[in-house]
Formats: sequence, C-alpha cells, structure tokens
Amino acid sequence: MSDISEKSAGELWGREGFREDPYITAPTLEEAADAPAVILPLTVWLGIEDDVRFATNRKIGVSVAPGENVEPLLALLDRIPLIALEFPAFNDGRSYSKAEMLKNQHQFKGELRAVGDVLVDQVAYMLRTGFDTLKVSHAVTLARLADHNLHDAPVYYQPGRGSHTAPGTYSWRRVPAA
Amino acid sequence: MYRYDEFDHAFVSARVEQFKDQVERRLAGELTEDQFRPLRLMNGVYLQLHAYMLRVAIPYGTLSSRQMRKLAHIARHYDRGYGHFTTRQNLQYNWPALKDMPKVLDELASVEMHALQTSGNCIRNVTADHFAGAAADEVADPRPYAEILRQWSSMHPEFSYLPRKFKIAVTGAERDRAAIQVHDIGLHLKKNGAGELGFAVYVGGGQGRTPMVAKKIRDFLPVEDLLTYTTAIMRVYNLNGRRDNKYKARIKILVHETGTEELTRQVEAEWQVLKESDLKLPQKDVDAIDSYFRAPNLPLRPEGWSELAAARKADHSFSTWVDQNVTPHKNPDYGVITISLKPIGGIPGDATDAQMDLVADIAERFSQDEIRVSHEQNLVLPYVAIADLRIVYDLLLTDGLATANAGLITDIIACPGLDYCALANARSIPVAQRISERFGKAERQADIGELKIKISGCINACGHHHVGHIGILGVEKKGEELYQISLGGSGDEICTIGDITGRGFSSEEIVDAVETIVDRYLEIRTDKEETFLATYRRVGAAPFKDALYSEAANAA
Ligand code: HEM
Ligand code: SF4
Repeated sequence: MSDISEKSAGELWGREGFREDPYITAPTLEEAADAPAVILPLTVWLGIEDDVRFATNRKIGVSVAPGENVEPLLALLDRIPLIALEFPAFNDGRSYSKAEMLKNQHQFKGELRAVGDVLVDQVAYMLRTGFDTLKVSHAVTLARLADHNLHDAPVYYQPGRGSHTAPGTYSWRRVPAA
Repeated sequence: MYRYDEFDHAFVSARVEQFKDQVERRLAGELTEDQFRPLRLMNGVYLQLHAYMLRVAIPYGTLSSRQMRKLAHIARHYDRGYGHFTTRQNLQYNWPALKDMPKVLDELASVEMHALQTSGNCIRNVTADHFAGAAADEVADPRPYAEILRQWSSMHPEFSYLPRKFKIAVTGAERDRAAIQVHDIGLHLKKNGAGELGFAVYVGGGQGRTPMVAKKIRDFLPVEDLLTYTTAIMRVYNLNGRRDNKYKARIKILVHETGTEELTRQVEAEWQVLKESDLKLPQKDVDAIDSYFRAPNLPLRPEGWSELAAARKADHSFSTWVDQNVTPHKNPDYGVITISLKPIGGIPGDATDAQMDLVADIAERFSQDEIRVSHEQNLVLPYVAIADLRIVYDLLLTDGLATANAGLITDIIACPGLDYCALANARSIPVAQRISERFGKAERQADIGELKIKISGCINACGHHHVGHIGILGVEKKGEELYQISLGGSGDEICTIGDITGRGFSSEEIVDAVETIVDRYLEIRTDKEETFLATYRRVGAAPFKDALYSEAANAA
C-alpha cells in the first residue's frame, strides 16, 4: 500500500487552525481497504456504483485535477461529502474558478479542499473563492499559518466568501468578515 | 479624475507594507532571488539587463500635475533623472536600487499611485483612449468603465493566476485610438438605437509572436453587465486557456483553437449563471464613478481664434505645430495638445525630471491640472484653450517639448530593445533615432504625411511593430542583428496585421530600406491626400517589395 499518501503529504488547515485529517487519499477503493473516509480520483469516483459511492457508513470524497471538468459532479453535489481541487503548481489557477463555481454558483455544502503547492500569498485567495480547508505541504506556508499570518488584504474589490458588503461604497467592494 | 477614497488608501498602503517586509527579507538573505521573484513581480519590479526596473501603473493614462511632479521627483532622486513612458500607458524607471523600492512605492502611494498588476499573469493596467473626455468625436468618456474594471480586477482572487497576462482596453469613439482590437478584451463604448450606453465586446486580439485581430463576440452589452460579462470571459479563459506552452497561452490562441462561435457560446452560457449576481452594476455606482470624470467647466473663449490666426501668420513653426499636434476638442474654443516625446534623433518616450515638472506646471495653469500618457509614447494636454496655445507652445519650446511631429514619420514607437531588455535580439532605440534624423526636416515630414513606424527588438512586439504602417522587428540570424520589415499594419478601427516584405536588413541597411519604401510611396500615391496606409491598401505589397529587393539586388 505504498502509494497511499498518508498525512505526510501535508497538514490540514482551515480558518480555525490546523486539524486532524480524517481522510486518506487512495488511487482506488480497493487500496483504501476499510478506511472510514477516503478521497478518490475523479475518474475512479465516477466509475463506482451509487450505493457504494454514497454509502452511509463511510465518506467517499473526490479529487479533481486542474485539467478535469467538475461538470459531472454538479448534479450530485448534495451527496458528496468532500471535493478536493488540486494545485500541482502554484501558478496553475484553474482550481480557483472551479471553487467559485462549486461554492458560489452551485451551492456545494460539503468540504471544499485545496491540495498541493500552496504559497502563503494564495491562502487568502483560496478562502475567498470558496475553499474550506487547505492541505498544505509548503514549509514557509505552514510556518506562516502557524503564526496566523494570512497575508490578507484589509479590503477587497470583489465579492467573495468570508466577506461582507462595505456599506457606503460601491457594490463590488467588500470588507473581510470579522 | 478619479480620487482615492479611504478604501483605496487602505488597500494600497497594506500592499506597500507587505512589499517592504519582502524587500527587507530579500536584502537580509532570508529570501532567495527565486523565492523573491513572484513577490517583486507582483509589485512591478523586474530584473533587467543592467538593473532592476520599476514599472508604474498609470491607469488609463490619466495623471494630475501633482502625480507628474512626483514621477519627476522619483526620477531625480532614485533614478538617473529620467523616466520612460511606454506603449502601455505606464512609466518605467530603468535604474532604481532595490533597497529604495519600498521608499519609491511609499512616494507613489502618497499621490495615489502604485505599481500593482503591471506584471504577472493577471489582469494588467487597463488602458483607454488618451483623448478620452476631450475628443470631439467621442460618444462618452470610457474612463469610468476602465476605472470600474481597474478596481474589480485589483488582486482578484479568481483571476490572479491566469494562463498568461491579460490586457483590456476601452474606447468611447468610433475612431479607435486605444488599439482595442489587439487586446485580450477590447471594449467599444457606444449607444444603441434607444440611446442607451453599452459596449461592443472584442476578444482575442494580441501581438507577440502570433499576432491576431480580436473577434467581436457581442455587438451591444448593456453597461450594467460589464463586470458579469467580463467575469464570464475570464472564467472561460482561466479554465480552458492553454497552460502547456507559454507561447500558446494567451486568450487569442484559445479563441483561435476553439472557434469564435463556440467560444461565444461558452461565454454566454457562463454569463447566464452570473448575469444577476452581485456584480451586476447598479446605475448609482456607475454614476458615482462617472462623476469623478465629469468634464471640467470650460468657459467659452472665442477671442482665441483671432489671436491664433495672428500668431500663426507671424510664426511658421508655431503654425506647423498647431496643424500637427492640436486635435479638435468637444468645446469649440479648446484643443487637445499632443506633446511629442520624439524629438528628432531622441529616445522615443523618454522624459527628464525637468521636462516632467514643466509639463506638470503647464497642465496646472492651462489644462485643468490634467495630463494623459498615450500608447504612442507621447503626453497629452486634454483641455487647452485656443487662446492659450501660443503661450503653451512657448513654454514647451523651452525644454525641447514642441516637436511638431504627432502622427508623422518621426513619431516612432520603439521598445527598450537591446539597450535595456534581457529578451531582445536587436537594438530598437538607435534605429528609431537614425530614422528620425534621416526624415527630420519639417517640410519632408509634412510632405510624407501620416505614417506610423513601430519598432520591436524581438518577437514579443512590445513596440507594436505588427500594427505599424511600417513595422520593424529585430531578429537574430547567425549571430547578426537583422531587421525584418512589415507593411500595412494598423491598430485603429480597421485593424490589420502588417505583411512581412521578405529577408531582413542589417543595421546599416535598415534606414535606407525605410527610405526606399517612403520614396516609392511618394512616387505612386494618387495625390497628397492619399496616405501611406491608403496607398498600401490600394496597391498591395508588390511595388514596395520590388523597390526593396530589386534595388538591393541591383546594388549587389
Ligand atoms: C523591458 C522589459 C520588457 C520585457 C521583459 C517585456 C516582455 C514582454 C513579453 C514576454 C511579451 C510577449 C507576451 C506574449 O506574447 O504573451 C510582451 C508583450 C508586450 N509588451 Fe513587453 N516587455 C518589456 C517592456 C515593455 C515595454 C517598455 C512596453 C511598452 C512600451 C511593453 C509593452 C508590451 C506590449 C504592448 C506587448 C504586446 C501586446 C500583447 O501583449 O499582445 N513591454 N512583453
Ligand atoms: S519587444 Fe522584445 S526586446 Fe522589445 S522590450 Fe519587448 S521583450 Fe524586450
């Protein structure tokens, strides 16, 4: 089972701080054995039967690479506990748009997770486009997050999660929610 | 013009503080150049051949006198006494020291300026018609919309890691002075049959190694949909633009490979989802931004016309300058002045600190405190009374700023080229200088008429050579600097990419080659009214190729 990436792949962080990651990442369901929470690649996840995929006794999340489309997930969002969007390189910004679509246009209620090469300057952008959690491996980012330093701006020029309208000014402007 | 409010101030000062911390960490060795690179680029700091370069954003090219004085001050104290105005309506400093960068950014912030979004794969500084708000032929001022786009695109969480950089240009007149069809998005502000304002939307224009003219994907987009529709375009691009090859990553390639019809369908589908979202613009916000750009109250000054007639009669040079560098204004008693930064034999776009101060003083006294930077690397005074033309001319004359060549053959655009740029194949500036000297005589230029020469030192096309009536491109062949010529390009409303004539010319030959083309044009034009571009469109490349290559062959 060497290709199951354990927690060594990074630490799980959310707005409240670091936390235990209940999920493991596995290439197939078989490889996951009887782990209670598992994240599968999109192609694999799409191939399994509904009664397994949405079984009540375990959680099966789905991981989407930047080049993959989230379209097939849209009709099933109510039943998916977790979607992980990958950032294999910091400069590949496709997953930001997918986060916006999933969280803000299609009201995905489950956990939206960013996985990969997360630079500290990107954390705030991720939270604002709709990510709930980040699986971070970058050492500098981990250190800054431990210091609660999000490199965030004091004001935003766009609507987004974690902010509210800035009264008395233009409709597109926001301030961070306290 | 737009003034920062507390919100904008809070935003910019936070960015400066953050960058200060990063520079200190770099200077202390805590950050390697590799780690520092994306951080400095976000703040407009490039590493060039000889030094760091700072690129300052001048949103839609509009400046106040106070801002211009600050730019002069920075040139004097932190650079070598000059700055370089660029085709992106920005200003570049070529020699500031890294340790001074935070101080320079502080100075800029004190006059509501910054260097954000001038590099990186984000939405860059939005450009607009440099005659906006003043030109007689304008339907409405495009700058309020450029300002709304500037704000909305600043540090955009979804669109800061695009496949490649992204440039938006806006114009408000049929006559396109902002080259919107060679931008990633071009917006043409116009009125529909009912008299309402909206935009024709063009997507996928660009220069660089694969020049393309943008495709119109919508004939009329109501103003309230500006941000929702732009978001839809950006999202389709962010998700589908190529990331496997940086030379194919611009939206023009996506449009080309997807097909205009299919791309339009995707954008419209995405827009259906976004149309009623929080980004739909309330009219009151548009009005509020618009009010910053209200035209100043210009008193009628009809006495100027007789003064002008007398002054013209008395001074031929002044008269030539008025003909060439003054454009009609909305207000009949006013003119729009182009201050040429192309003195004969000079470096296109360079201005000294003293020149910047002088322009600031003149603008304060005679142009409602306002200055524009044009994408043709000149400066513009948008609100000068006809009655003041003579005194403004005399003041400009005191520091070499009254060259009467706007739109003529010596009004050359040139990129920094091998003198500064790490990517260059060849020098651009010295070629521009030599062409300018060759054609420098006023009578000769006037006889040739409108002719735009644009020079780039490599295929990235920062000097817009693809849309030059005569374009010159530096290429490298077997270790030698060669110059390739293209003809018939145009960046205006009838946008065309120039045709390459054939083999390139050496640095010694290139000025003669340009002269050969010009001489042939003079021989074959129907009359003086037929411009170079019109002649080229009538006769095509053959007569020019003939002149260039058969003559060269004869000489050999
Ligand atoms: C000196 C350092 C500079 C560097 C390293 C640089 C780099 C580049 C590169 C790599 C491209 C090609 C982008 C692409 O095709 O995807 C480009 C395009 C361009 N740059 Fe520059 N540039 C520099 C200076 C300038 C200056 C001084 C100006 C303005 C005078 C400018 C304006 C432009 C414009 C207008 C384009 C082409 C339009 C387009 O993006 O399609 N650049 N530049
Ligand atoms: S065209 Fe080439 S040489 Fe000129 S500034 Fe751009 S990258 Fe440098």
